[in-house]
Amino acid sequence: MNEFEQKLSRQSLRKIPGEWRAEILANCRGSKVEGRAQEQFWSSTFVSRLSTVFWPHPKAWAALAAVWILIFAVDFSMRDKSPMVAEKVSPPSPEIIAELKKEHLMYAELIGARDDHDADRSKLRVPSPRTERVGILTA
Amino acid sequence: MSRATEIERLYDEHAQPLFAFLLNFTRDEADTRDVLQEIFVKLAREPELLDDVREERAFLIRLAHNAAIDLMRRRGTREKTKENFAAEAVSPFAATADPDEKFFRDELADALGELPEEQRAVVHLKLWEGLTFEKIAAALEIPPNTAASRYRYGLDKLRGRLRPLYEEIK
Repeated sequence: MNEFEQKLSRQSLRKIPGEWRAEILANCRGSKVEGRAQEQFWSSTFVSRLSTVFWPHPKAWAALAAVWILIFAVDFSMRDKSPMVAEKVSPPSPEIIAELKKEHLMYAELIGARDDHDADRSKLRVPSPRTERVGILTA
Repeated sequence: MSRATEIERLYDEHAQPLFAFLLNFTRDEADTRDVLQEIFVKLAREPELLDDVREERAFLIRLAHNAAIDLMRRRGTREKTKENFAAEAVSPFAATADPDEKFFRDELADALGELPEEQRAVVHLKLWEGLTFEKIAAALEIPPNTAASRYRYGLDKLRGRLRPLYEEIK
């Protein structure tokens, strides 16, 4: 800090008015009380709004709630049973396994025959070498 | 410590420097009082604001600065302050019996009032709060280089304006 800056910084500033302390702190206390009152106001407003919605037909709302509870109960009981159903499925009998094997063989034969047929067709389609074709054209 | 005593402690420790800063910034005693009250009421309602604060003074200056800017914008007093400064300004300096000092303080108050608000804020915090540029920067939410340059510009203007008087009474 140079001399000029020191000269400026030595100039004493005004003091805060003493009466402000009590006034401002009182307002702080008031604001806290007001804040709590506002919270109570909003909570009571919420409750009163809920009651205006539910109060006119309490039986209807109760019935609706019961239906929802029933739906949830059924849903949960179904979920519990589904793995048990899967466990109860018995393994296939030897007859069914033999039948499935027969079908499998039959399909395999059919597919094999089709493959042979396709192979024959592909043989027929194979073009003759280019030199032979040129010889045919020139002959 | 209860909330009430915490607010009292904050007031006793910081209200005076905040008052001086706000009075120099707004140049209006009523605005200064409104902003001070707004800050302390806010702290009373939301004491958690200070939970993670390391530099209480810098944090409170930031609150004060932002609240003062908001208030002045709301009231549209920015232009009014600039235009009618000479007629309405309140000096941020204490009264003195010495006539030379009184004249110097009056001239200094006028010269400060002619500075742009952003320069005035930095000059005040540097000269009368003794804050470093880093702390001023943190308080006013500006880069430290900006704080330093604003201080230099402001000080140059004050020096230019007050040099004849300063040389005379030195």
